[in-house]
This record gives sequence, C-alpha cells and structure tokens, in this order.
Amino acid sequence: MKKERTYIDSMHFWGKIWSVTALCVLFCVPLVFSLRYNAFPDLQIFMKAALKIIPIYWGTAIVEVITYTPMLGAGGTYLSFVTGNITNLKLPCALSALDRSGYKASSEEGEVISTVAIASSAITTTLVIAVGVLAFGPSILKITDPQSPLAPAFNYVIPALFGALGASYFTKHWKLSVFPILAGVIVYIFVPGLEAGTMIFVTIIASVCGALALYKLKIVK
Amino acid sequence: MDFKNSGVMYALAAAVVIFVVVQSLFFMVKAWKRGLKLGIESSTLRQTVISSALFSLAPAISILATVLALASALGYVLPWIRLSVIGNLAYETVAAEAALEALSTSLSDTQLTAREFSTVAWAMTVGSCFPLVLLPFLCKKIHKTMNRVLSSGKSGEKNSALGDILAAAAFIGIMAAFISRSIMGVQKDGPSAGFMTVAVLLSAMVFTVALDLLCKKKNLKKLEPFVLPIAMFGAMGIAVLLWQTVPSEITGFVWRSYNENGELVWGGSR
Repeated sequence: MKKERTYIDSMHFWGKIWSVTALCVLFCVPLVFSLRYNAFPDLQIFMKAALKIIPIYWGTAIVEVITYTPMLGAGGTYLSFVTGNITNLKLPCALSALDRSGYKASSEEGEVISTVAIASSAITTTLVIAVGVLAFGPSILKITDPQSPLAPAFNYVIPALFGALGASYFTKHWKLSVFPILAGVIVYIFVPGLEAGTMIFVTIIASVCGALALYKLKIVK
Repeated sequence: MDFKNSGVMYALAAAVVIFVVVQSLFFMVKAWKRGLKLGIESSTLRQTVISSALFSLAPAISILATVLALASALGYVLPWIRLSVIGNLAYETVAAEAALEALSTSLSDTQLTAREFSTVAWAMTVGSCFPLVLLPFLCKKIHKTMNRVLSSGKSGEKNSALGDILAAAAFIGIMAAFISRSIMGVQKDGPSAGFMTVAVLLSAMVFTVALDLLCKKKNLKKLEPFVLPIAMFGAMGIAVLLWQTVPSEITGFVWRSYNENGELVWGGSR
C-alpha cells in the first residue's frame, strides 16, 4: 500500500517540477528572441493580442484540466499538458492503450500503461514534426494541399481516429454509448459550430448521467 | 534578415525538442520500471510503445501540416515550437490569427518586422501557458477526488461494478463528442459533417470490428496492438479512394453549410 502511494506521489512531485521547467523553457523562446534582436513587444498591441488569445486558451485550459486530468493518470497528465495536442492525440492514445491492455484507468497498472502510451506518442509526434520541418518542409504541404490526391486522408484524420477507437469501446458497451452520441448529435443540431473541446464536457455529463440511470434501472450491471 | 528562421530560432527549437523528448523518456522509464514491479509483462509495455507510436503518426502529420500552414507569416520555427509544447492543432491557428489581427495584418503577411514577430510570439506564449500554471495546484487534488469516487474500480475489490461503469461512461463521453461532431457538426475551417465524415467514421468502425474478430478467431495476439492504427490508416485510405472514384457532388456533400452571407443552411458542399 505504501509503495503504491510512493509511486503516484513521486509522479506528482516530478510532474510539478517538469511543469515549472516547461514554463521556463516556454518563456525562454520569446525572451531569447527579444534579447537577441532587441525587439521587445509593443505593450499596447501585445495587450490587444493577448486579450484576443487569452479567452480562447485560458477558458479551454480550465475545461481541459478538469476534464482530462482524471482520465490520463498522474504521469500522463503532466506529460500531456506539456506536449499538448491532448484531444486529438494524447487522450485517444492513452484510451486505446488502456483498452488493449485491459487495465482500468483507476488502477496503478492503468496509470503505468497510459504514461507509457502518452510518452511514446509525445516522442513520436515531436520527432515527426522536427524531421518534417527540417527535411520535408515544403513537400509535406504538397501532400496535404487541397489539390493533392492524398489530401482527403488528412482532412478526415479525426473521424478515422475516433471511429477506430470508438468501435472497440462501443461494441463492448453499446448500451452506454447510445445516449451520449444521441445527446451530442442533438446539441450539434442546435449549436452546430461548437468546438469538440466544449462538447466533451456536455457528452461526458450526458454519458455519466445516462450510465447512472441505466445502472439504477438494472439495464447495465 | 530572416530572423524568423534564424540560427537562434533553430537553436531554441532544438532545445524545446530535446526538452520534450527527455521529459517523455523520464516519465516512460519511471512508469516502465513501476510496471515491471507491478507484474506487467515487458512485452505488453513494448507493444504499448509501438502501437502508440504508430497510432500517433497520422495525427502528427496533420500537426506538421498546421506548422507549415502558419510558416508564411511566422516562419517555420515559431509554429514548430508552439506545436511541440502545449500547442493544439485546433487553437494554434486561431491564436496566431488573433495575434496577427491585433497587428492589423494576417496569416498571409510575409513581411512582419522583428518587433511585430516578437509581439506575436509573446502573446501566443502567454496565451498558451495557463494549463502549466494550473496543473501544479490542481492535478493532485483532482486525482485524489477522482480516485475516491472510482476507488471501487480497483481489481479484486467488491462493489466495483458502478465504478467500472462510470469510468467506461466517461471515456465513451469523450469519444461521443468527436463522433457526434463527425455526424452532425459544422466547421468553418475543417470538414463539416456530411457524406465523407460519416463514410470515414463507419469505415474505421468496420475495420476495427473486423480486425478484432480476426484476431479473436485466428488467435493473432501479435496483431492486436496494431488493430487501431491499421483501422485508422484503412479509413484514411477509404477517404482517398472515395474522393478519387465517387463524383464530387457526393463526396463534397455536407448536411449543413454556411452560405456566402455567413448564414447556416441545410445542404451544400465543403
């Protein structure tokens, strides 16, 4: 019991240190640029830009931290938020690895699997972007250009990714799946432009409430 | 002077890449060691690494495309850095546009001055840093609360049924958001729901179910970790095939779209 606590606690300890270090690295980028080129921002324009950006990012940040933290495990959470692209990459990756391994997210084994999956995904993504920019920069744009025959493949990554991931969950838990999808579709009929990040909040609440109702009605056990 | 793609910027990008890789390796090694102690087989851990890497390839290329799309105004390096740390495919373009708008310019502007560029870089950094400020305070608290709620979900304990159901329901809730968007959502800067989104969604589902069945029937344990990446690439292949073979009036058809006045109407093409 003590050991278990030690591992999770050490994840939180190191996670905090890495988060603060990441903040420093993040701010080094504009700082070093400004110092090197003696080009500090115009405060008035900076405020105007920041006021446009902050509502986009900070609101999403609060929703994302509250929604994703319980699902990603301690190590996975710190790692995911530093490397970003959580909804479209890290979270599906962790969910898929957990599903395949058969461990529960709330167990320590699940924590280990999701951390390993997210770390692997983060390294892959970082290297793909680095190699892509350095070696294939302009030719990648040719592949994803709307005129390219391969463009549709990249336009529809999200339905391909969540279709594949969803199928393995839905076949196991189809009774739990009908209500949240239906709720999502109905909300989209009335609020068609809703970002998926916000919609996640709606569908998780719908899904959990639906599951509770089905459990109480003894439809799922 | 090309300050956007200068040696300093590349050095900063290299530092960011090394930081992200080292951090990921650090957590992976810690988790791996703990996993072995908990009795997880190293083959399971290895398969997790390989299937997660494969699973990440296609989305990573989409992220790379976003980096390159931002390159004309911001150079290659700043978008590269932004999408390697915290960055998000969906918000980064919006954030860059908003910052450039404040400068009364746009993403197609290739003539930013160093001061304008610095303003954009600072604004994007301040905007994106917030999760890292929140996490050290909130992460442990959220986990403790959730574990209390789901503690009944641990293996071997009784009364775990509800905990398991709620955990599964939360995961399904996440996927339902994206799936319902592919069925009925409308996007201004991406593909709205229509023939193609539903066709790709269904293809991915059919591939996954078929491959799962194949694994079970033929007892192909080694194929199991690759089912999802294969299904995803298969569905992307179907997207290309449909686009090439089916008339564009059908492939381009979306349930709803914005007309030239910016009003939402039923029907239309992407």
